[in-house]
Amino acid sequence: MEVSLSGPKVIVTKLKDSKVKRLGFSAPGFGYSGSNFVDLRRKCRVNWVGLKAIRAQVAVEKNNAPFRKEKVQSQTPVELLVGLPLDTVSKSNTINHEKAISAGLRALKLLGAYGVELPVFWAVVQPNSPHEFDWSAYLAVADMARCAGLRLRVSLNLNGCHRPNVMLPGWVLQAAETDPDILFKDKSGALHKDCLSFAVDELPVLQGRKPVDVFESLFRSFSSTFKDYFGSTITEITVSLGANGELRYPSFPPTTDSEFTSVGEFQCYDKYTLSQLKQAAESAGNPLWGLGGPHDASKYDESPNNSNFFKDHGGSWNTPYGNFFLSWYSQQLLHHGDRLLSIASNVFGDLPVQLSAKVPLLHHWHEMSSRPAELTAGFYNSAERDGYDAVTEMFAKYNCMMIIPGMDELGSNPESLLHQIKQACEKHGVQVSGENSALVKQGTDNFGKIKENVQAGLKTFTYQRMGADFFSPEHWPLFREFVRGMERSQLDADDLPEGNGGGVSLSADSEAGNNREMQAA
Amino acid sequence: MSIVRWKPLIHQLPLVRNPSLSLREQPKRYIRCCPKNPSLSSLAGFVLGSKPDSDRNLRPIVEAKAAQSPPLSQETDLISSEQFTVNRIKKTYGKVSVKLERRCGYEARWMLEVSCDLVGKWILHWGVSYCDNQTEWDQPPPEMIPPGSTVIKDYAIESPLNARSEGQSESEVQIEIDGDTPIGAINFVLKEEETGRWYHNKGRDFRVPLRGSSEDEITLSMKQSVSIWPEAFDQISNMLRKHEESDPAPAPILEDNSDTSSKKPIIAFHEDYTVIKEEPVQNSMTVTVRKSDKSSDKNIVDVDTDIPGHVVLHWGVYMNESKNWHVPPPPYPPATKVLRKSALQTLLEKKSLGLGNRGSFALNKEVKGLVFVLKLDEYTWVNNMGKDFVVPIENSTSGNEEKIEEKPGTVSSTDKSVDTGAAPYTENLISGIRNLVDDISSHKNKAQKTNEEQDNILHEIEKLVVEAYRIFKNSSVVEKPDKSVDDTSTTPTQLVVSSGTGNGHEILCQGFNWESHKSGRWYHELGEKAKLLAELGFSIVWLPPPTESVSPEGYMPTDLYNLNSKYGNIEELKDIVHKFREVGIKVLGDVVLNHRCATSCSENGIWNIFGGRLNWDARAIVADDPHFQGKGNKSSGDNFHAAPNIDHSQEFVRTDIKEWLCYLRKEVGYDGWRLDFVRGFWGGYVKDYLEASQPYFAVGEYWDSLSYTYGEMDYNQNAHRQRIIDWINATNGTAGAFDVTTKGILHSVLERCEYWRLSDEKAKPPGVLGWWPSRAVTFIENHDTGSTQGHWRFPAGKEMQGYAYILTHPGTPSVFFDHVFCFQEEIRRLISLRLRKKIHCRSTVKILKAEKDVYAAEIDGKVAMKIGPGFYEPERGPKNWTVAAEGADYKVWEAS
Repeated sequence: MEVSLSGPKVIVTKLKDSKVKRLGFSAPGFGYSGSNFVDLRRKCRVNWVGLKAIRAQVAVEKNNAPFRKEKVQSQTPVELLVGLPLDTVSKSNTINHEKAISAGLRALKLLGAYGVELPVFWAVVQPNSPHEFDWSAYLAVADMARCAGLRLRVSLNLNGCHRPNVMLPGWVLQAAETDPDILFKDKSGALHKDCLSFAVDELPVLQGRKPVDVFESLFRSFSSTFKDYFGSTITEITVSLGANGELRYPSFPPTTDSEFTSVGEFQCYDKYTLSQLKQAAESAGNPLWGLGGPHDASKYDESPNNSNFFKDHGGSWNTPYGNFFLSWYSQQLLHHGDRLLSIASNVFGDLPVQLSAKVPLLHHWHEMSSRPAELTAGFYNSAERDGYDAVTEMFAKYNCMMIIPGMDELGSNPESLLHQIKQACEKHGVQVSGENSALVKQGTDNFGKIKENVQAGLKTFTYQRMGADFFSPEHWPLFREFVRGMERSQLDADDLPEGNGGGVSLSADSEAGNNREMQAA
Repeated sequence: MSIVRWKPLIHQLPLVRNPSLSLREQPKRYIRCCPKNPSLSSLAGFVLGSKPDSDRNLRPIVEAKAAQSPPLSQETDLISSEQFTVNRIKKTYGKVSVKLERRCGYEARWMLEVSCDLVGKWILHWGVSYCDNQTEWDQPPPEMIPPGSTVIKDYAIESPLNARSEGQSESEVQIEIDGDTPIGAINFVLKEEETGRWYHNKGRDFRVPLRGSSEDEITLSMKQSVSIWPEAFDQISNMLRKHEESDPAPAPILEDNSDTSSKKPIIAFHEDYTVIKEEPVQNSMTVTVRKSDKSSDKNIVDVDTDIPGHVVLHWGVYMNESKNWHVPPPPYPPATKVLRKSALQTLLEKKSLGLGNRGSFALNKEVKGLVFVLKLDEYTWVNNMGKDFVVPIENSTSGNEEKIEEKPGTVSSTDKSVDTGAAPYTENLISGIRNLVDDISSHKNKAQKTNEEQDNILHEIEKLVVEAYRIFKNSSVVEKPDKSVDDTSTTPTQLVVSSGTGNGHEILCQGFNWESHKSGRWYHELGEKAKLLAELGFSIVWLPPPTESVSPEGYMPTDLYNLNSKYGNIEELKDIVHKFREVGIKVLGDVVLNHRCATSCSENGIWNIFGGRLNWDARAIVADDPHFQGKGNKSSGDNFHAAPNIDHSQEFVRTDIKEWLCYLRKEVGYDGWRLDFVRGFWGGYVKDYLEASQPYFAVGEYWDSLSYTYGEMDYNQNAHRQRIIDWINATNGTAGAFDVTTKGILHSVLERCEYWRLSDEKAKPPGVLGWWPSRAVTFIENHDTGSTQGHWRFPAGKEMQGYAYILTHPGTPSVFFDHVFCFQEEIRRLISLRLRKKIHCRSTVKILKAEKDVYAAEIDGKVAMKIGPGFYEPERGPKNWTVAAEGADYKVWEAS
């Protein structure tokens, strides 16, 4: 076994590499201007953090050496990302809070973050027509990240979002004015202006074009516009597969967003979805099942316990009709996801980037046998049926990484649901990344939970999300200590010869890989 | 006296190896050695930053090789020879003394002296904190900065320590402190310039509390607890905690600790810190294996090292591939001890001239190799990267192949010893424990180093985070859900300006005088002049105080939310703000925060109950003004005796004031503030208010007396401008201040024809604008000094000389309302020149003449000016100067 590497030597090499920068550092000692000095020092520090990442990688390397008995769960260091504000780019295509973001990026880099997540909205890129694209502000943000030495995960949101109030593009909404049924509609006829119905994916409803074609040209435009960034800066593309950027129906009320914790309603009342339901019912030999969604499901503000459909014992979810409807409903979601992932892997497949998509962690009501919140969102998951197996299989088919939010959620529901999804991923060999669902607040143990989840083996973790609250004196110190705490456990793994194997490391710089090659050469 | 651990951030080699250091020299544990690893020396180059240096550090290796060559060539029966480079840490003990004491002969001056008796170019990297927040680093007022210092951004100063006397190793730096300074503490770390290493106090900043601190007591009790470690653990505890141990120190003299007000008197402070300067030192060790010429069944192992002092070889041999430690059969070399039948300890023989140590070991042929570690003293062990040294002894016939693998050094040989070194660990209990201790401590060292470096990074990160937070906070409420975008705030973020100073090119107009209230419709009258003021080139107008007031001029406010005053009602106020907005002029509100007039009496007949929306009572009044029986804290500044002074230390007062300022910003549309009588309360509160209200421009009136001796104004007004700058500093630079110093000096200059006063001892302008131009708002007259009050009127007939000075110089000039009309055309010319030549608040001044009867200066190389009856003409040269403005005893040129 001659591949052995020992930590200190790698460090030495790294130091050599950064000699030039360090030269600059000591020069100021003999007559320099203040600002200059600090800048140079900053560069050195960046280097130093990078160095630590190498130590981390080396540590893992050592632990993986064949003669070690301990099995290390995480093969590579966990990459820590931080989400940029949802309104990083305004609807008028300018960068909001540019100075703050740029300071924030530098701070994150110094802290050792791997990168940031940039939410891209369809309505910003194509505000006026399906033929024009305006990526200018997003390009500028990508440039900022590149300058800061951070990687980018770009989330392509084909949906709207309530909180910076970005809905679908104006021209899409115009089309929806003439034909409201291209949007999701709930039982009472309320429209979701943030999400096109899955049923129109392949219908020419957008100025004569099919949504899937529009999405494909959007992806292609993105791919050609950002071609210089792939691999080096952009390392991951996340495609939204439904409402809220996740693979799901917009089962929440049309005016709220993801923070809705009730069960929600089935969204199958636009005429296109209804007609597909009708067809399915007819071919199942039960035309009466195709007239609408379950009549006895609970409303947005009702408890599922009181509804005939969801109740644990004797609920109609557990009847042949229930099985028919839920199978069909979840299949529609899967088909939609499959269509988009196939386009995405077609367009982005050859790029040196990881494709990923998000699956919601709908843990509310998970204790009920019917898993009502998951059902309405399109996951036919119940006490007897694994609704995530097919989903994960689809991810595996396109070599798509799965992003699961809610890594900070405490309690048994999130834990058991997360366990279920992760098991499915393990079965199909799908990589898992995590996000938190909300900024961690003082006095909670959410960071502890995140750490626990991260240590259990995640590819990357994205902390959501940058903004005033993120940098506030109430939050920032908690986050900083969280990151440093993770680094410390990484140092332990490095320093203790026998390593307890659970060390987690945050990679700041994947150039470390190149360094390793240099060593071997 | 406490001992502090001083640690370099990065391991490196010394620039100069100086064995003659006069200080106690003691090699210590934690020594690492790696065989022939030249890349380690590049580490030194990396830190020191120059190639020649790294070459220099390579030299010992080269030399050692040369020294080792004779045996190689002479002895034919040589089996193998291996050289190890030993990096150990040499420690020199020294003392850093921090002394804060009253300056001889000055009642109110204090002196902080930091001295260090270790050789080196020491740099004091320091900053001050203005409040009890210990971690805060702020720029000290310029007056405090010792000569030769460098300013590091806005939070630190680097001041070199200078040799106390020629040829002495002891160096010191002195910082002068004003007894009235608002500074709460001075924080510092030390840097050794030649090596670039930073020295901290246990990983934290050194801190000199100016006014004592309860922290001292805590630290002391902690120290005590260290010294009661049980005897039995002494050894290990010593090894692990050596540096936290300390002599019991005499408690610093703490006086008056019960006084809770922020203006505690400065307390003398003296603490000596024992410092351990750790210098990595490189030694080498050569292990040669040769056949014995006396007996054929023996091999001789020679160990030769240049490590000074006692060196004990702690060794054993191995017989087979398992490399377990064994004790070979006797005879042993002289001075050898057998340790529990598992290892031997041999004291190496001193080489002549003290150049190192050597030893020879005769070993039987069966011995496959020698394993050893070095022991330098009770606590100092040298091993090979945490493992034992392994010297394989092969038969000369079979050796070659393996030797190739062994020799190339770095990667393979280390790894081999890593792989194989594990066995002795389990076998040899003593050695195992020792190595473990060594290991733990080395981990500890590493961790400490990491932490310190991280502290530096964290400091930088925190600064960035604060910046990010500030901007985010101000721009985050931009887009509200479900509301159409409002037209006023489409590009909100781009407009964030460095607070309180506007865009740097501002020119202010004081938009009223002492009589303005008389018409009752001033807002209306001034509004009519908005266009004219804009056309003259003003960018900011300062409006009179808007609130209901006991005095008609508005400076005795009662109900802060009642914006109907003698100048007009709230609607007219909004109207005039709007009018100025339309012509592109920003508007400052005159806010009186120091005092407020009560509207009713308390039961005992004292006027201390406030009316209106902010219905405060005696709790909002400072306690140290007997007239109003305030129940608040003592004032944080001077008292204005005509009205109850507001106690800004009360949380509810500050909350109310912030809310009021935000209300004024939003409701009236003010862009910023002129802050009345800010001498009356601590500038830190102003900072709070400004951060809450985010003005575009803010200027405070800090007006106190200049220094005079026998009625004649002193040339040096540094103390005066320092007080103003201290205030600006306390606001964290969020506000500027009126440059009263410049006005005062101009008075003397013009009245007495003493133009030499306009250049300070450093040939800079002598007012605030010479020290902190971007925060200096220059003026020659206002409603108090001039107008119909005339408290301190500018020399009559010389006003235009004053304006020729302030309108061409850096700082933000302010023109008094009356003068706008008295000298309209002359002022118009000067303003238009200023704008045309883009002179701004940070422009540079080159003083060309400062004589009895003439002062001349060049600003930014674009404008030349002179005032005074004396002669000055700009030189004919590459620049073509044309006269831009001219008047009584002043002349201004512009370069074309």
